[in-house]
Amino acid sequence: MSVAEFVPTGNTSKYRPPRAWIDPDHDKTWLRRALPLVMARKATLFTALGLSFVSLMIQVQIPNLLNSAVTNSVQRHVGTLHYVPLSHYVRIVFILAVAAGITSYVARLFLMRTAYAMEFDLRNMIYTHLTRMSFSFYDRVQSGQLISRANSDIRSVQMYLTMGPNIIVQCSIAVVAFVYMLTIDVPLAFVAMSTLPLVFLMGLRMRRQMFPVSWLIQARLAEVATIVDENINGVRVVKSSAAEQRELNTLERAADKLQWSYIRDADLRARFTPVVQNLPQVGMALVLLLGGYLVIHGHLGVGAILAFSAYIVMLQAPFQMLGMLVMLGQRAAASAGRIYEVLDEQPTVVDAPDALTLTNSKGDVELQSVDFAYGEDAPLILNELNLHLRPGETVAMVGRTASGKTTVARLLSRFYDVTAGSVKVDGHDVRDVTVESLRSQIGVVLDEPFLFSVSIRDNIAYGRPGAAIEQIQAAARAAGAEEFITQLPHGYDTIIGERGYTLSGGQRQRIAIARTLLVNPPILVLDDATSAVDVQVEQGIHEALKTLMQGRTTLIVAHRLSTIGLADRVVLLEHGQIVADGTHAELLESSALYVEVLAQAEASE
Amino acid sequence: MSFGGFGGGAPMFGGGGGGGGGGARAASSPGGGLPFAGIPPELEKGVDKLLTQEPDYPEPTAEFTYLNADQLSKNLNLRQLIFRHWRMGVWAVLLVCIVSVTNQLGPALVEHAINHGMVAGHRHFGVVAACGALFLAAIVVTAVAQRSQARVTGRLAARVMNDLRVRVFTHLQRLGLDYYTDEKAGVIMTRMTSDIENLQQLLQDGLAQLVGQALTMVVITAILFTYNVKLALITIALVIPLLTLGTLWFTSASARGYQRVRDGIAGVLGDLSESLQGVRTVAAFNRQRWNVVAHRNVVGIYRDANNYTAQINAIYGPGTQMLGYLGQASLLAIGGNMVIHHQLSIGALVAFFLYLNRFFAPIQLLVQQYNTFQQGQSSVTKLRILFQTDPSTPQRPDAEVLPPVEGEIVFDHVDFGYDPETPVLRDVNLRIAPGETVAFVGQTGAGKSTVAKLITRFYDPTAGRVLLDGHDLRDVTLDSLRRQLGVVPQEPFLFAGSLRDNLAFARPDVDDDEVWRAVDAVGLREVVERMPDGLHTVVHERGQSLSSGERQLIALARAFHAQPRVLVLDEATSNLDLLSETKIEAALDVLLEARTAVLIAHRLTTAMKADRIIVVDDGRILESGSHAELVAAGGRYAEMYATWTSHAALAA
Repeated sequence: MSVAEFVPTGNTSKYRPPRAWIDPDHDKTWLRRALPLVMARKATLFTALGLSFVSLMIQVQIPNLLNSAVTNSVQRHVGTLHYVPLSHYVRIVFILAVAAGITSYVARLFLMRTAYAMEFDLRNMIYTHLTRMSFSFYDRVQSGQLISRANSDIRSVQMYLTMGPNIIVQCSIAVVAFVYMLTIDVPLAFVAMSTLPLVFLMGLRMRRQMFPVSWLIQARLAEVATIVDENINGVRVVKSSAAEQRELNTLERAADKLQWSYIRDADLRARFTPVVQNLPQVGMALVLLLGGYLVIHGHLGVGAILAFSAYIVMLQAPFQMLGMLVMLGQRAAASAGRIYEVLDEQPTVVDAPDALTLTNSKGDVELQSVDFAYGEDAPLILNELNLHLRPGETVAMVGRTASGKTTVARLLSRFYDVTAGSVKVDGHDVRDVTVESLRSQIGVVLDEPFLFSVSIRDNIAYGRPGAAIEQIQAAARAAGAEEFITQLPHGYDTIIGERGYTLSGGQRQRIAIARTLLVNPPILVLDDATSAVDVQVEQGIHEALKTLMQGRTTLIVAHRLSTIGLADRVVLLEHGQIVADGTHAELLESSALYVEVLAQAEASE
Repeated sequence: MSFGGFGGGAPMFGGGGGGGGGGARAASSPGGGLPFAGIPPELEKGVDKLLTQEPDYPEPTAEFTYLNADQLSKNLNLRQLIFRHWRMGVWAVLLVCIVSVTNQLGPALVEHAINHGMVAGHRHFGVVAACGALFLAAIVVTAVAQRSQARVTGRLAARVMNDLRVRVFTHLQRLGLDYYTDEKAGVIMTRMTSDIENLQQLLQDGLAQLVGQALTMVVITAILFTYNVKLALITIALVIPLLTLGTLWFTSASARGYQRVRDGIAGVLGDLSESLQGVRTVAAFNRQRWNVVAHRNVVGIYRDANNYTAQINAIYGPGTQMLGYLGQASLLAIGGNMVIHHQLSIGALVAFFLYLNRFFAPIQLLVQQYNTFQQGQSSVTKLRILFQTDPSTPQRPDAEVLPPVEGEIVFDHVDFGYDPETPVLRDVNLRIAPGETVAFVGQTGAGKSTVAKLITRFYDPTAGRVLLDGHDLRDVTLDSLRRQLGVVPQEPFLFAGSLRDNLAFARPDVDDDEVWRAVDAVGLREVVERMPDGLHTVVHERGQSLSSGERQLIALARAFHAQPRVLVLDEATSNLDLLSETKIEAALDVLLEARTAVLIAHRLTTAMKADRIIVVDDGRILESGSHAELVAAGGRYAEMYATWTSHAALAA
């Protein structure tokens, strides 16, 4: 059987892989590092920005046209100098309106699509990166943290990268509008614009003060939710301790704190929103005063007042946005920092440049003088450990808690690299073969098997997606899982975890065995279950394990006495070394420690 | 023109479909703490400053009773919620009225200034100045009124929700265990979270907006009619129908769109979270390359959903904007001609232009707020139904306080079924003497756990009586009953908080020495001393930081600390490592001493400890006697024992 069959590839997607990667140079600013991501989408992004600019340029014309229409068509009489028929303006405004509508539709669509495309790239990039990371990374990092980064941090970066240029384009229109106003009347233009910088500043202050309050509200909502959640799940404890009044007091305190933050939030909104909303109106009143004066003295047409008012309304939004841009920028910088932190992590277990492909392993496994620690300053878990598994042999590893049993199992698949010494498969150091080919030769059944929320069929076929249903059924049968699977409402298509279809520990174990059987690896590592199962179920699992172990080299990490019976040979681990090696009967005679460990096990059975 | 640029972009910001999705997820797994596991560093300073302003809160005042919800709660509706705070309601309406008038004065004043101060023959700067000053004054009044309104409605919303939170929680606390088993935890959670939070937006902003925007429309229409009836009618006909239809389409389409986005992000995060949790399996089976493509598919679906909402937003935003410009073009054609033919003043035309824009916001907001309103209504309905659910084990109004008991338990012809059709216990008669330890054994579903639930009065029998020291359980107060009972549930549950809080849950007001006594009683001292902060170590996420053996020991210590006269223990089914198993057995010996104990045993080793073993089968007591007696009798128990010993021998 060739390796290619062991490595699940060939999954298809109609979506293309991400087009860019962030700049690996740590010294650059976060924006510079994100640049490749933006440039990968430059066609749509620049089209969107260009069209957005065109659309705004068109819109800027309209108030000016209204001004001219009122002055040249409505106020002047037919036949007088500069008279223009009204229909001329109406036609132009009509055409510009349609043009503005179409351009800004396309611009906005493109802009948002660009944003989502960048988000798509970022998410896939992070996921791909995470799949490359080594176990030592996952030991260190909480998955909840990673998910939170993938959720809100990606959003805030994406939002800034697209909103940023757009807001700048919007604000650039302010310049154009200002120029138009200047051509109409210089002092009036300054008066009209006078309040807009204040709109920006107030908007900025408002957001700066609102963010902590919004966060506090979310945190306190979560606090209330936690109390409720505990009272639902711990209802028996609460009721049997007659603690209802106390829990009610706890909730009331949390609700009071939440109420305070809501009122804080309302007061902050009350302080800023009316100001930000009404400042442009002040501009209009000022235009009326000064503009009226100018009209009376014949310096200005009445239409100008209309045009200026229209410009003020038009500029209000961009100036408010500008405040937002600053805040978004701060958030995005913090978020990007957290994302880069993940992306900058390097995997520790990697293929050597000239790594060989391991195929059709005979199953000869050897650990030579292995030292191992989970970190540079961590204590040695394994100390000069030597162990040889001959092809086809089943070896049980026994020892007290923390003697290093599980660690040995992890080193075989190169989940970690040894600190000193070497692990060899068929005489090859595991660091000299590709990780993928090594793992394709080694099946691992963990003590608490992880099943995915997909159908039982897909779970069994996890290592060989696309396996025929007959093969899947055969594996399930051999693992003794077929009987309970066929009794489930949807048989092999039952989705685990859905509608309460949870499986017992023993059932999960058997599915995990079937999963490994289907891959059919020459070497097997079993971590015996500590949890789970009564005596009968255990027997069933042992039957399944015997099937699994036939013709393979097997290492069993044994926590239970009964499992030892499955092995040809037993090794006893103590302080990271093998202190006894032989058959069960031999060790019973020769090793006092072995007897002690077994006695402890017996006491619990 | 007010929709230039960003009018329709709001959903994109408010969006954060991602935020929405995250929220939905957070609600379904609260207490997980994400994404609020800690203050983000960039907010830390702001939050700290905010917290220094926080006042001291008064002591909680809500009183817990086991009575049914009051009539007011049973008839809960929106009106009643607001009427409780009617003063604030009146204030809010008054302020909204002021705003909707003063806010619309601007264009009218511009019109007046033009017609009476600027056009040929009427040039008076005095008029313009007066109008300008009035305009400024109107702005100030508007701003002040808006500010007060926001403060009032903000308080109104906060108070109503606080009131509801306490009332709903009180009611949830009184509901019986049947409610908690029948209803999914997620649904109960929703009653206390999103159903109440839905009202927030409605009360803080929504209702005021509904009233305010409706008034604004009336005011503007009235003003336009005073200028020119014909043009006013034309303007309204041009704008309202199209805009209303467009907004209706947009709200329903974007609701669909955001549902897709929420599902999409849930899919993305779900896939990511599984990949992280199962990372060892993924690596062992070389699934990385396959999963990268699979994840790309999930992210792609999410992106498609986002692009769909982008399409909707891109149509609606620029669409309404175009509608506005087209309205202006029409106004220019029709109104301009009317001015030329002296049917309209130039000032009025300018006013029409200015008011045209102001028609847009109210219509859009009214449609959107109506949605909020409906959501709020349906939440209130759900809460009302909750209040109408009466507790299944009510406390009698004349219930007595149970005096300290000896611990004699009697089942007197007890029948029970979770639903009336399928009885679980049938005519059970039983007497447990004070100080006796009795173990119930039997198959799953035989009814042994039910016995425990009747003793603790989590349920009432359908017929017959359960007596404690001769008192029918229904005649005594629940509080006094449960204070004398100790319950150790099958799954040990730990509350977020310190270890001490968890241990001293039944009687928190004791000194540490007494807590240590409970710790020592179950042999947990070593474990506690090993922890970073000893007794005050905070336990996380339902105690995930502790092993399951340690969690069980804590549950036992908690029961020991309560010092109950009667102990009901539902044995855990999960197996433990050797050491914990031994420790738990030792702890049980201490715990059972000198009190009446009912053990729901899943293992024969546990049952053998008891003074008496009762075999339950099909809702009846089949056998009763000591281990030796039952084995000698050769009945069902003897059979079970024989099977067990043969397996035990095999394993060894």
